[in-house]
Amino acid sequence: MKQLFYKNLILILTIVIGGLFVLGVKFDQALYSDTIVKITQVTDDKTEKVTDEFENKDTQTKQKISGIVMNGKYQGQKIVLPNTYSSSRANDQKYQKNDQVFVTVNPHKSGLTGTIDGFKRDVVVAVLIWVAVSMLVGFMQISGMIAVLSIALNMVIFFLAIKFEIFVNITNFFWIFAGIALVFAVLTLSLVIGLNRQMLVTLLATLTGTSLSVIISVIVLRLTNDQGMHYEALSYATQAPKELFLAATLLGSLGAVMDESTDIVATLFQLKEEQPMISPKELFKSGREVGQSIMGPLINVLFLIFIADIFPLAVLYFRTTNTIGYTFSWTMALGVVQTLISGIGIVIAIPVASFFASRLIKGGDAS
Amino acid sequence: MITIGWLSAILFGLMVIIGGMNGVRSFLSLFLNFLMLFFTIILITGGFPPVVVTLINGIIILAITIFLGDDNTQVTETAFYASLIVLIILVLLIIPVEHLAAVQGFGAEDSEEIEAFSLLVGANFMQIAISTAIFSTLGAIAEGAIAISAGLNEIVEQTPTIDLKKLYAAGISIGKHIIGTTFNTLFFGFFGGFLALFILLVQTHATFADIINDKIFVAELIMILFSIIGVILAVPITAWVLIQKLKQRK
Repeated sequence: MKQLFYKNLILILTIVIGGLFVLGVKFDQALYSDTIVKITQVTDDKTEKVTDEFENKDTQTKQKISGIVMNGKYQGQKIVLPNTYSSSRANDQKYQKNDQVFVTVNPHKSGLTGTIDGFKRDVVVAVLIWVAVSMLVGFMQISGMIAVLSIALNMVIFFLAIKFEIFVNITNFFWIFAGIALVFAVLTLSLVIGLNRQMLVTLLATLTGTSLSVIISVIVLRLTNDQGMHYEALSYATQAPKELFLAATLLGSLGAVMDESTDIVATLFQLKEEQPMISPKELFKSGREVGQSIMGPLINVLFLIFIADIFPLAVLYFRTTNTIGYTFSWTMALGVVQTLISGIGIVIAIPVASFFASRLIKGGDAS
Repeated sequence: MITIGWLSAILFGLMVIIGGMNGVRSFLSLFLNFLMLFFTIILITGGFPPVVVTLINGIIILAITIFLGDDNTQVTETAFYASLIVLIILVLLIIPVEHLAAVQGFGAEDSEEIEAFSLLVGANFMQIAISTAIFSTLGAIAEGAIAISAGLNEIVEQTPTIDLKKLYAAGISIGKHIIGTTFNTLFFGFFGGFLALFILLVQTHATFADIINDKIFVAELIMILFSIIGVILAVPITAWVLIQKLKQRK
């Protein structure tokens, strides 16, 4: 029993500390400078039926909401908030008792009123991170912690890089993100594999595979004059959209190419250790076999990540009677191209990783 | 369209050169999954209940990805059953979390993109958000389940008499490696998919507090967390399914 306790000490600590963290987030209102209101009472007013120009039927309902201010100079005071929600809820919200919201306060002589700016989502995020991290640590102990640490570090670098990119504000900002991709790859691989020859071979394969796929894609985009590509459809773009799109694609495929190169190189190092006399040719062949079986599922993972979030927009396009072709090229085409470019990188990485590993492995240092 | 055509042709060519028949199958699975996704959007637009449509088509996408992902039926059958169990557990997690996080539809950052549209289109955007989250996890579930199933199958073939408890431990040990690398695929996919949003958020001087409560950011972040939880769940569940199959055979 005692032994079991020590074995699971890291997990128990993660669960307890994580739980305390979630509790802290639940009562973190004092840390916010924005005013937070806890809703105490909601009454729905009358519901109106609406029909738009495309015969889509919807409803709109007014809500009378009152709540208590949780922080700031009006803390503890009662506030009245108006709200309207639709039954489709594309861009509005139906509030319920105990929801917490950010508000802008308008003080009057008769009392406080305000407008709702947004929903407080930090608790749900904290709970989900807690569950995911606890599961990671539960399964992988120390290596789980390292994986979490590597992502946390990458996120900080990512944030700083964006700050830097906005600060310098140069036209060729693609190269900033290419540099960041290099930093990400070095950092992640040294944390996951360690600082050794295997890591260097994996890094070399990752960088070559990713660069080749971007170079091929840029050539294709230029030769076809970007025909059918609506870069301006890139959501949230505030800078040159084509360059932004390429930077995003580079970063998006980097993890998958790393994933695959890691698998191939690790398998070949292990093979060399088990059969020291194996020839580079045979090693290359085995690497190709490993790669073949990973590439399909891996490309599908990226495809589903890149394309799933166009769902609401695509439904909106179709519901407002746009054609299939138009909807495809303005909502899905960029995600599809991103998937194709990443796919090219994933496939190219197979011979590249197999080649580097088969030539650069020396007997005896396969640890 | 020509650009997409050329890039597809290059991807297909490379897949065939490097993967042979495996390459043809991989390309076919990507293409079929695209059709399934398109078909799902059309059904949802047509007024079918989004979550039900997504569950049925999601199971078909899992089948496409898994059965075209490996040609060993022992591997694929185990992976498919396991991925179904993972999918059910994830759906039970996704539905309440999406409601609690209230991340349906569009956010403030979308206003430019959607300003030309009437938003009262009578579709249920909460259910569509749940569908989006389910779809985004399917690839990760399938990949995890295939990898564990393939790894364990190799062990069973080499040592058919292996103790089932040892087999489970082997599954967890293979799983550790797979979780570690898949973690990177998912997170970098996330960075890449939402680079523009991150730049916009930093540019508008959003504070950490703003970002962690932002509708679109939270929607994306929880999708990645669902995928990670899905991959982790796939490890013990795939090992368990394989062991049940071996027990039955005895």
